[in-house]
Amino acid sequence: MSENFDAIIVGMGSTGGILAEQLTKAGLKVLGLDKGQDYTEEDFAIKQDEIRYYQRGAIVAGVNVDPVTWRASDKDTARILPWSAGALGNDEPLYGLPSIGTGGGTLHWGAAAYRFREADFRMKSAIAERFGADALPEGSTLADWPIRYGDLEPYYDRVEYEQGISGLGNTGGVTPEGGNPFEPPRSRDYPMPPVTQGPGDVPFVAATKRMGLHPFRQPLAINSQEYKGRPACVNCGFCHGYPCHVKAKSTTQVTSVPAAKATGNLDLRPLSRVLRINRTTDGKRATGVSYLDSTGTYREATADTVILTAYSLENVRLLLLSDINSNGQVGQHFMTHNFGWFTSILPEPTNPFLGTFNASSAVDDFTSELVPNNDLGVLWGSPIISVVGDLQPIEAYHNMDPRTRKWGLDLKHWLRDNYTHMHRMYSQTTNFPYARHYADLDPTIKDRWGQPALRITHDWDDHDANSVTLMGRYKEKIAREMGAKDYWMDSPRPPYHLSTHDVGVHRMGEDPTKSVTDIYGQVHECEGLYAIGGGQFVSYGGYNPNQTIQALAYFSAEHLLKKLGVDGAHMGVLRAS
Amino acid sequence: MASKFVLDFPLMFLNREEAAVIDALVGQIIPSEPGSPGAREAGVTEYIDKALAGFLRELQPVYRSGLIALAEFTAGITEGRFHDLADGQQEEVVRQLAELSERDPSDFAGQFFRIVREHTVQGFFGDPAYGGNRELVGWELVGFPGAQWGYTATQMAPDFNTRTIPMLTIKDLYSRIGGAQ
Ligand SMILES: Cc1cc2nc3c(=O)[nH]c(=O)nc-3n(C[C@H](O)[C@H](O)[C@H](O)COP(=O)(O)OP(=O)(O)OC[C@H]3O[C@@H](n4cnc5c(N)ncnc54)[C@H](O)[C@@H]3O)c2cc1C
Ligand code: SF4
Repeated sequence: MSENFDAIIVGMGSTGGILAEQLTKAGLKVLGLDKGQDYTEEDFAIKQDEIRYYQRGAIVAGVNVDPVTWRASDKDTARILPWSAGALGNDEPLYGLPSIGTGGGTLHWGAAAYRFREADFRMKSAIAERFGADALPEGSTLADWPIRYGDLEPYYDRVEYEQGISGLGNTGGVTPEGGNPFEPPRSRDYPMPPVTQGPGDVPFVAATKRMGLHPFRQPLAINSQEYKGRPACVNCGFCHGYPCHVKAKSTTQVTSVPAAKATGNLDLRPLSRVLRINRTTDGKRATGVSYLDSTGTYREATADTVILTAYSLENVRLLLLSDINSNGQVGQHFMTHNFGWFTSILPEPTNPFLGTFNASSAVDDFTSELVPNNDLGVLWGSPIISVVGDLQPIEAYHNMDPRTRKWGLDLKHWLRDNYTHMHRMYSQTTNFPYARHYADLDPTIKDRWGQPALRITHDWDDHDANSVTLMGRYKEKIAREMGAKDYWMDSPRPPYHLSTHDVGVHRMGEDPTKSVTDIYGQVHECEGLYAIGGGQFVSYGGYNPNQTIQALAYFSAEHLLKKLGVDGAHMGVLRAS
Repeated sequence: MASKFVLDFPLMFLNREEAAVIDALVGQIIPSEPGSPGAREAGVTEYIDKALAGFLRELQPVYRSGLIALAEFTAGITEGRFHDLADGQQEEVVRQLAELSERDPSDFAGQFFRIVREHTVQGFFGDPAYGGNRELVGWELVGFPGAQWGYTATQMAPDFNTRTIPMLTIKDLYSRIGGAQ
């Protein structure tokens, strides 16, 4: 049995939700498939539960259902990522895959909402201009983006206004108090001021100011006041890793998906797992998808437009499972973030359970192309972000001083004396892409439907480690300036190799032999097939990816509607048969 | 001898002796002190038993063999069953076990210790709905007010004494949305 639609969207997460809204509002009949649940308000009415969400990852894809394997290099045999859903039940579930179901990763994200910098789009050239053409580590496949910041600016603005972002914009070259003097040019201010500041951020701001740095309040996809019928954040402190109980956090589950449903044009089928993309016999055109519905029944649906928005890694898996990789580029140029966690114990109480994760400030003085000259050969910098909220006691235990004996009165007294004084900082340094870091299908490990798992081949290299070390020096100076009694930092080569910020694996580009999609996400080798999201990124700076992912979603949606000859008005004629 | 395990909840997976061993072990991981309850008073053993009967059921065999490994490890150090040992002897066994778990990640007894430690922390600091954190002793210890609907700007100000905020559990929050009490 097969049903026909104008478009099929695979994944109702961050990207898919936006595409669904734009397409259905234009009158297209859209089938939205998601392997997770279609959540209702009721589901998250009470979510203040560290065991359920943080420890047991209630809305995260588990590796026992959605396995991903990892190995450091070609020479090793990959094994299932041990840190997600922990083989022994003793690891944090959060450094695995994003959550599943309507909203996708934006259900329980931290909601840091950054635009990339102008230089982030031309990273290869900017590095060559500053450090010389040979500065890049050998073998790096880094390239400039085929689009520039200016191309995306209107779409960043659209994300800010449609999805709802709070912050202090540096509009027209005027930086307000608490704004970011290094922010890229913007056409107007954020629609909302920043959320309530957490107490632990106050010493960070004071210290960085004394050091001559420029702290600014982080832009967040969280309502600081009522916005579009959704209330303001109530600072519950169960935010990063949790869904929002009052709909103050922007997730497509409460923004775009309901808007798409309201058109009557979205046929949303939850618990529907797409297995492959179908094409015409010559492979040149997409014709639809095959999927398993919520009862496990095999189904097919047809459409001339098939859009993969299943997260960068699953997009790649679906392309490979469907034999779409004639130029060998699918899964290449893998990039992820190294978080460089740094924890301090401050003399004053920080009460880190108050408010959202990012109820705080950051400094951009060392970000991207602003990286200072250094002896470690670091070519691209990162923001240093103060993290002051959302730290529940079990998570605090996972972040405790590694030098403390972790049992007995030492453990108990450490948590008793330090929990309410913890302050964290992190940087987000990126990897450069290399041919040796990629995603492909695992030759042996399969999911329970017999489909090969995705395999990640990646290791932290010297530039990655040096970047963390360099940022660590600045964090250490800030910690000292804050009067920290004690501080420690993560290893510059952390045990995770997925960060939920995984990008680059279906690179966009103008040359079909060197990239997977065009700038609108259309897969070069298959007309009508789109792969949209962080997978399109060509290089990766230190900012969180999602606002750029969502900007690309609006950018692609607009293009698609133009191409299909619809521009907002209902065009029922397009509906095939 | 350390004080005896009081079985004041229905066991769902562990048997009585296993529960007594776990209780002694979690009591070493987060000990009690006069005026300051530890993992045993918090009901961590109940948390672990409930978890093993439910969400963590895949770890049932790990716990069963882990308890055997712990008994063997204990026998290699001193005479008597772990839960019958005096407090100081239990502490010595755990000291060696913890050290081994750092030194040799492939040693099963050491890994079992790490698993129990993880679950001890969960049971001590998780919501009491899961059987642990009785009378909110875990949250009281560290100064965490629990499952709050939200905090006001005044409560988030640096000089606010958050110890004055009454602690709430998930169950308390249900009353707010008109759910089960
Ligand atoms: C804990 C956490 C914190 C984060 N914090 C931030 C932050 O502060 N700032 C930021 O910018 N980013 C953050 N991110 C990252 C951000 O959430 C992701 O970049 C973003 O969600 C990616 O969007 P996407 O549309 O590509 O995928 P997703 O939002 O993950 O959506 C993919 C959807 O596809 C569905 N799906 C997958 N496979 C299939 C299949 N085979 N068939 C059908 N459906 C399928 C999934 O169920 C899901 O709904 C965070 C992520 C996590 C997990
Ligand atoms: S901190 Fe605010 S945005 Fe985050 S979950 Fe709580 S109420 Fe929602």
